[in-house]
Amino acid sequence: MPLAKEPQVSTVLSRQALVADLGRLVTPQQVLDDDENQRPFECDGLAVYKQMPWITVIPNTSEQVQDILAYCYKQRIPVVVRGAGTGLCAGATPHASGVLLVMTRFDQILSIDADLAQARVQPGVRNLALSQAAEPMGLYYAPDPSSQIACTIGGNVAENSGGVHCLKYGLTVNNLLAVTLVTMEGELVTFGGPGYETPGMDLVALMAGSEGLLGVIVEATVRLLPRAEKVQVLMAAFAAVTDAGDAVADLVGSGVIPAGLEMMDKLAIVAAEDFVKVGYPTDAEALLICELDGTEAEVAQQLEAVKTCFNHCGATSIRVAKDAQEAARLWLGRKSAFPAVGRISPDYYCMDGTIPRSQVGKVLTRIGELSTHYGLPVVNVFHAGDGNLHPLILFDDAKSGDLEKAEALGGDILTLCVDVGGTITGEHGVGLEKLSHMPYQFSDQELAQFRGIKLAFDSHELLNPGKAIPTLKYCQEYRSIQHD
Amino acid sequence: MTDMTSVLQDQVRVAADTGAGLNIVGAGTKTGLGRAAQGQTLSLLEHKGVISYSPTELVIQVRSGTTVTELNSILAEQKQRLVFDPPVFNDQATIGGSVAANQSGSSRPWVGGVRDSLLGVGLINGTGEHLHFGGQVMKNVAGFDVSRCQVGAMGTLGVITEVSLKVLPQYEADATLVFAASVADALQMMPQYMQRNLPVTSVCYWQGKLYVRLQGSTAGVDSIVSAGDGSVLAQDAAIALWHQLREYKLLDATTEQVLWRSNVAATDALVMCTDDCLLNWAGSQRWQLLPADQAGPEQAIQFMGGDRQGEVNGELNSVARQLQGRLKKAFDPHSVFNSGRLYSWM
Ligand SMILES: Cc1cc2nc3c(=O)[nH]c(=O)nc-3n(C[C@H](O)[C@H](O)[C@H](O)COP(=O)(O)OP(=O)(O)OC[C@H]3O[C@@H](n4cnc5c(N)ncnc54)[C@H](O)[C@@H]3O)c2cc1C
Repeated sequence: MPLAKEPQVSTVLSRQALVADLGRLVTPQQVLDDDENQRPFECDGLAVYKQMPWITVIPNTSEQVQDILAYCYKQRIPVVVRGAGTGLCAGATPHASGVLLVMTRFDQILSIDADLAQARVQPGVRNLALSQAAEPMGLYYAPDPSSQIACTIGGNVAENSGGVHCLKYGLTVNNLLAVTLVTMEGELVTFGGPGYETPGMDLVALMAGSEGLLGVIVEATVRLLPRAEKVQVLMAAFAAVTDAGDAVADLVGSGVIPAGLEMMDKLAIVAAEDFVKVGYPTDAEALLICELDGTEAEVAQQLEAVKTCFNHCGATSIRVAKDAQEAARLWLGRKSAFPAVGRISPDYYCMDGTIPRSQVGKVLTRIGELSTHYGLPVVNVFHAGDGNLHPLILFDDAKSGDLEKAEALGGDILTLCVDVGGTITGEHGVGLEKLSHMPYQFSDQELAQFRGIKLAFDSHELLNPGKAIPTLKYCQEYRSIQHD
Repeated sequence: MTDMTSVLQDQVRVAADTGAGLNIVGAGTKTGLGRAAQGQTLSLLEHKGVISYSPTELVIQVRSGTTVTELNSILAEQKQRLVFDPPVFNDQATIGGSVAANQSGSSRPWVGGVRDSLLGVGLINGTGEHLHFGGQVMKNVAGFDVSRCQVGAMGTLGVITEVSLKVLPQYEADATLVFAASVADALQMMPQYMQRNLPVTSVCYWQGKLYVRLQGSTAGVDSIVSAGDGSVLAQDAAIALWHQLREYKLLDATTEQVLWRSNVAATDALVMCTDDCLLNWAGSQRWQLLPADQAGPEQAIQFMGGDRQGEVNGELNSVARQLQGRLKKAFDPHSVFNSGRLYSWM
């Protein structure tokens, strides 16, 4: 594992003294320092990166967060924030000599204003819980990561998470109106507001995707969307992934923006069908699942356009869901794809590059070649409408060398994404995992600019140190290896 | 169609070396926004042209000196459009200035503002480095979101050299409904357009009327119009209304008349909601013209007109001010760009 080099931190205090001090700032029950209780926090959703926390604090008020940060700032103790720990880039991996701040007790929806179609929430509120609470008002929170049962709004903001409905309704950043933050120095500050925009630079946007490096989010205001009058789901099968890729580019290029447009390749179709039996055509090479929404009239018009486009691109079959139950079943296969893959392989590694839509067919073909080259199967199930790939590399951690091979294959996929005009991460973030790919996408000067932003918020680099933004020294080492 | 990047970089380096201040200017159409500019002019007007445009990807990448009008016509050739519909200021406004000054149009609450269309920028920082952030793809979370940070920064963080914008197909149909309403009625009526998934792209109150713009597919727009609520505004009157609204012409600021703006919760019944106000964005953006010698409404910013030496963008609390000051330094350590344009102290 290419663990990041972490900045030197001087902790003069012993763990015991620190636990006592922190216990006074909160209550002793909110501070953990034993392995047994801290084990659940050892890793996030990317479990190959593991680090037992040194000390864990579970605050429940903004004041406590302020006190803890002010204290840690004074003592120069690193702080890592954790939401639900579903992140897939080792962003919430604890620091070996730092404090882990677990935000799950901030689980209150402070208000849902139906007239404004906005909600004010604490960061530990689960993504799905917000949509459920808004349901009686006919509203929902649009960015819906597949992990939405578990992941928190704080984590969503920190990663700028997306989901299947982001094609039409945007990522977290596009649905975020205000953020309240505790800085490393323990100060409370709010950016944005309920009126959509505030004068001056857009710091709400800067908070989205800041990966816990700039401050601790203690409150967010998000917009909610009205449920559409009509939702229509359809599924189209194709005899080649390139046909399906072309269908995606043609459809969106023609101006039809579905609410969601997802693609699964043969391995994913078969794995999902075996797992949840929703009637996917297992002989297809690729499947598109398309959701349209709007008024009855709009959806009827779009449906015809979609069918025409898919047929034109060589769809071998098209199935339009007759009712909500059938639509839910078509989605169930897609939503169960990750666990379904978990059943067919001891381990899998999920990548997250984004590419221009027109490159989908070409890149999937190249991924197939790389898969053969490395001898590891790759399953593709992803947000095709956005060009956001999620190749799942199957491997067996118990087999020596397999993980290294999976990482090398993953690295090749990410550089491929950058080469075709895309990015190394569309929604999962950089964390520890993609640190070594940052210098491929960015120049040293650009990385230095990122560091400047980091230092503006956190002058001693105490917040989530060693993640997301590689140090210059790290980049130099990386570049010298590339040139060898 | 010229790329002036290296010339611009040289000018920035010289300024950084000599301690001179630069005033980044496109066509100068936003001179009346923000605080009064100082420093030597750094003109972006020649730095224009399309760098790449792939209609099927729904992305265009252009140099910042390109005018919004040129951009609109290039997109129109492919039956596409900018999503955020910025003012064109007599066809002079540049896209760089529109991004820097955050010129989100009337459809902001429904389809998003400048920040939601902005996918990437090229930026010359205060040491003359030319940097790229974001890109041409829809989703990109590698590194901090430097691109969107430029939105509203009024050029204080760097020279925007190019922008990549998400674009969309033109609407098939549009129609404007009008309802007689007092400002109080309007406040009551507006929320429904946020609560229902309809092809609505603008809702504003102006002089005793509530206007609702519908844009989308023919089927979608027709189904709302035929429901028979309100009356349909004649096409040319509708075009004129939305044009004047976008171009800040409904309320004309001058040195004697200040145009105040405030962004509030759309249902707020206390701030700037007298009959003489203009309420846009379904009530969340409010405008009022007041004589220059009269104090402005609380929380409002002095958007245009009057004396531009004061803190026209309002005051920040000490924490926000310190953070923004440090951010400014991180981009522009020698304070080359647009001194005092956003805040007196920056
Ligand atoms: C099965 C599965 C499916 C997934 N599907 C998707 C998907 O479709 N789309 C998608 O985008 N992601 C997806 N993810 C990734 C993950 O769920 C998201 O990144 C999510 O937003 C993380 O939220 P969390 O609460 O678990 O955050 P964590 O994993 O706990 O933390 C993530 C990052 O946020 C920071 N952080 C957390 N809370 C705060 C806070 N209050 N203040 C400051 N920083 C904070 C942490 O330091 C860390 O860097 C998936 C993950 C899994 C396991």
